[in-house]
Amino acid sequence: MPIVFACAASHAPGITAWTEAAPREQAETFLGSYRRLGERLAASKPDAIVALTVEHWANFFLTSMPTFCIGRAAHYDGPVEEWLRIPKARVPGDVKLGVDLIDACLDGGFDPTFSDELLLDHATLLPLHFLNPNMAVPVVPVIINTLTVPMPSAKRCFALGALLGKFLQHSEKRIALVATGGLSHWPGEAKHGKINIPFDKKFLENILANDHRSLIAYTHDEINAEAGSGGHEIRTWITLSGAVQSWKAELLAYEPVAPWATGCGLVAFNP
Amino acid sequence: MSLYQLQKLLYHVNRDSERRERYRKDAAGFIKAYELSDEEAKAVLNVDTRTLYTMGVHSLLLKPFTLLNKVSNEDYAKALKGLE
Repeated sequence: MPIVFACAASHAPGITAWTEAAPREQAETFLGSYRRLGERLAASKPDAIVALTVEHWANFFLTSMPTFCIGRAAHYDGPVEEWLRIPKARVPGDVKLGVDLIDACLDGGFDPTFSDELLLDHATLLPLHFLNPNMAVPVVPVIINTLTVPMPSAKRCFALGALLGKFLQHSEKRIALVATGGLSHWPGEAKHGKINIPFDKKFLENILANDHRSLIAYTHDEINAEAGSGGHEIRTWITLSGAVQSWKAELLAYEPVAPWATGCGLVAFNP
Repeated sequence: MSLYQLQKLLYHVNRDSERRERYRKDAAGFIKAYELSDEEAKAVLNVDTRTLYTMGVHSLLLKPFTLLNKVSNEDYAKALKGLE
């Protein structure tokens, strides 16, 4: 069976950790959309979730920072953050699918690192909290370095997505693809709290229009200046866009939530 | 400057409970294991948010480190005021 579900979602920790700090209407709109997206994921009856995700110093340090890392563990624990207000969970992995994705990459011109033990932080656990609430569907994390320079180019992320998408379309399993991160935010920086709404809207426009040329043209410096250090996470969205190139993206929510200090987006991709 | 060593210290304190305990008991002794300049050592021991930030410490290492040292969100923002 092929890819049966695809979505991209923001993972600002405030969504769960300080939900009530947000204006009520914004929080209800965004969380309601997140939950409905979870219902759509469940209805697609996936055998596994491939999470196009990032991390924030949970597993890797500058001793060795992978550009792409694919998990092949039997399970993943998280969240690492005690304050996230998401219960500690052991999320099942899919060892075979992880191994198969690594092989597909090596056969297809990518050389990811791989890991038999990854901790999950809010980047992965927060979306899963809404999209896989019982943590019943096994997950394969594909971690993309959006944390520290040098990072993979948008073009390279799109190409990775294309490779993964092509492979997964012929998978014997029903696959849900979940991209997580963004949109603009400046976590812990001097500009913390800033949200660049015009940047976010233009990026969403490019996603919704399947404007792949514009998506791969985003440069590191442009993202850094316009969307902040957290904005680099849009690379996961671009990766997903590469994976489901002919699918039609549907905007479920965009809320620039000041107390969550993030332009929060939710997009479903439909075949 | 030894930004790598400085960030390694923060990473260890943030992520490793055993090292965090040792740091809490004796910060001056703990930081001797890292090759820091005098300026860096001083900034760490004073939890000098602004100086650590301008030295180039990654914001997602600095923020949790300051939280562990009971720097409030307000004081953190105040320390970075006016910086790019």
